[in-house]
Amino acid sequence: MLKTTTPHLYIRRPSPTTAEFTVTTLPPLTIPLRLLLLTITLLRLSTVLAATVTIYSRFSLLLPPSTSSSSQPSATTLLLQGDIPTLLTHLLTLAHFSAPGLFLSNITAPIPDKILLPFSSLAIYLALFLQLHTTESLLVLRGLGIQTSSGWSPPFGTSGSGETNTRTNWWKWVGRGGALWGWAPKTRFIPTEKIRDVLINEAFRGFEVRYYLIVVVEGEEDVVVVFPKLLPRKKIVEAVWRGVRGCLYEGDRDSVNTMGAGGGNGHQHAGHGHNSHQGQGNGGQQHQSDGKWDS
Amino acid sequence: MAPTYNIAMISDFFYPQPGGVESHIYQLSTKLIDRGHKVIVITHAYEGRTGVRYLTNGLKVYHVPFLVIFRSATFPTVFSFFPIFRNIIIRERINIVHGHASLSNFCHEAILHARTMGLRTVFTDHSLFGFADAASILTNKLLKFTLSDVDHVICVSHTCKENTVLRASLDPLMVSVIPNAVVAENFKPLTHTSSSGSNHTFSSPPQHSQPHFPPARPLGPHDIVTIVVISRLFYNKGTDLLTAAIPRILENHPNTRFIIAGDGPKAIDLEQMIEQNVLQDRVEMLGPIRHEEVRDVMVRGHIYLHPSLTEAFGTVIVEAASCGLYVVCTQVGGIPEVLPNHMTVFAKPEEDDLVAATGRAIAALRANKVRTENFHEQVKKMYSWTNVAIRTERVYNGISGAISEAEFYGYDENTTTNTWSAATRGRSGVQSFALIDRLKRYYGCGIWAGKLFCLCVIVDYLLFLLLELWFPRDKIDICSDWPRKKPQLTNGKGEKKKKEKEEYIL
Repeated sequence: MLKTTTPHLYIRRPSPTTAEFTVTTLPPLTIPLRLLLLTITLLRLSTVLAATVTIYSRFSLLLPPSTSSSSQPSATTLLLQGDIPTLLTHLLTLAHFSAPGLFLSNITAPIPDKILLPFSSLAIYLALFLQLHTTESLLVLRGLGIQTSSGWSPPFGTSGSGETNTRTNWWKWVGRGGALWGWAPKTRFIPTEKIRDVLINEAFRGFEVRYYLIVVVEGEEDVVVVFPKLLPRKKIVEAVWRGVRGCLYEGDRDSVNTMGAGGGNGHQHAGHGHNSHQGQGNGGQQHQSDGKWDS
Repeated sequence: MAPTYNIAMISDFFYPQPGGVESHIYQLSTKLIDRGHKVIVITHAYEGRTGVRYLTNGLKVYHVPFLVIFRSATFPTVFSFFPIFRNIIIRERINIVHGHASLSNFCHEAILHARTMGLRTVFTDHSLFGFADAASILTNKLLKFTLSDVDHVICVSHTCKENTVLRASLDPLMVSVIPNAVVAENFKPLTHTSSSGSNHTFSSPPQHSQPHFPPARPLGPHDIVTIVVISRLFYNKGTDLLTAAIPRILENHPNTRFIIAGDGPKAIDLEQMIEQNVLQDRVEMLGPIRHEEVRDVMVRGHIYLHPSLTEAFGTVIVEAASCGLYVVCTQVGGIPEVLPNHMTVFAKPEEDDLVAATGRAIAALRANKVRTENFHEQVKKMYSWTNVAIRTERVYNGISGAISEAEFYGYDENTTTNTWSAATRGRSGVQSFALIDRLKRYYGCGIWAGKLFCLCVIVDYLLFLLLELWFPRDKIDICSDWPRKKPQLTNGKGEKKKKEKEEYIL
């Protein structure tokens, strides 16, 4: 159940001109799964705490206990004073002298420093940053452009859309792949006038040939690959491709026609969108080179 | 209703590199697509050509990134190609794997893997090989390995067939001869172009520039006869013979000159010969030319001289005849089969005879005995790629069981004794994909080689099983097909059926 599934697609269409395509390896959130994920999060938290306390008690308390002996202001006063480092030290010391803390230092006592330090650091790192699943998304806004995002979402971002708060939080959590802490995702916004085309391409990757969705950006040599980490299968890629076409170009043919080469090109493709071969032939970068072959 | 197939053409040699095998694959594939089949080409990556591409007609080309060692042949790594090959075969739903060229390592590996995967295989041999030198022995052994377990072999000429049968110890019945062809429209003589209105870059010699009278190309006694040679200047193309013969031909026949196009290691010898004999004004060296320019060079001449020492088919002499040139060629390999007698003068591959033959050709032209202006139409009737495609299709039908074995191999079931049948069935492998039967075939390859080959086959089979576990079939996306063409020679009912089938496929 916890195991990540094969990538699957969620489509969200808050308005007719907006669509978000999210590809994720997280299974559908059932109640047991939510509980399990919650447990894992708590487990991660306690791992971080335990590892920190272990390191602290092993290495910090060996020093002459100057701070602990001199003054013992309460935690609240320290918090009010805004003296965060001292507060943290104070809290860690408290944790160390608590029953679980003493138990922990007793257990870890026989382990030599050389082993303890790297292992507990590793534990902290994994508990904080290890991703259980990957989520990548593509946001399409008609008239504005598209935004690709891949990786983790910001941990404490403000919710911009009119989504309900809990749901947004879930998605944010999902975006981090279950990790406690994440860096900002790699997002990239491509304005409509820069989009020359959105198409499905085929390429060799490892021992196989994969389908993937690309955006050809005007003035750039390399194409932008959508969902670069997950590289979902053809069915998903096609669904997203149709969705993007529909959202970007359909229903506003007049404006597209007057837009000139960039938008117009894409529009023509959308016109016979049932044929997914339209763009696949070109090997990504060389769009005109096929002419040489037609002997 | 003729069945249609998904065919994979596999060779190390394909465009953008120019050459005979390359254009053969391209033309054959195009015509097969016209006949309603699906064709893909698998080759290795060339500079700037990696990945998946579509050519005209929906011909899909996979340029697989692989290491190239020598003259664009890839490094023989028996098994490393298998995973990607399997992936392509499954996603394209291939039924027939058709390998080309015996020097192409890609093709040999593909045939081995294809048989392991239970597909029908065809191999086309484009070249002749000797039996004596070390390289040939090695290549022949490799060929024997591959062809031990192939469903059918196609050769480009009867000589080539004989050669291949001997090299790979095959049953002659499982080898078909399907010659190359030329696109006659690309090789029209000068008289044709002026009527069709296309312009040509090279100016014609003044003596035959009367365009509107196709039969009229009389040659006066003092007009200059131009002899054209277009070939890569290698030893096996007979450049040494040419170097020796040119001064003597020019000495014997005052009003003649040579145009030589092509490049290679022997070009320096030719240049030395020109310097020594002071023939700069009578021998013109054009250097390397592109395939599109061949026709423009050919139409400048009257005689095409082909001094090759070995040749499986010799497409170039068909092209020359199509351009309306009288052909002088050495009687080697498959060349005597290619053109009818009235278009050619044959010489033994030696200096004296080549000079004499060229002399005869010049004399015949001067006497206006040869109607070269008719050659184009005749060649057009003899060689067409559509015909090649039809004949290749028949081979596909034969190996996949669409036409009965008796019909395919041309024997009468009632009268033939069982001995023949057993021998061929065992050899040709039309029926059995069973590993034990395959191993039996490989085991006969030689005392040591047989065991080694069996080992290879077993490893290949294990690798196949591993791949089935590692990359399961249902994890591989199936390609959507390029809309298929309807076969041209079907009635309405057949077409309707075909349409239904298409919908089913899509």
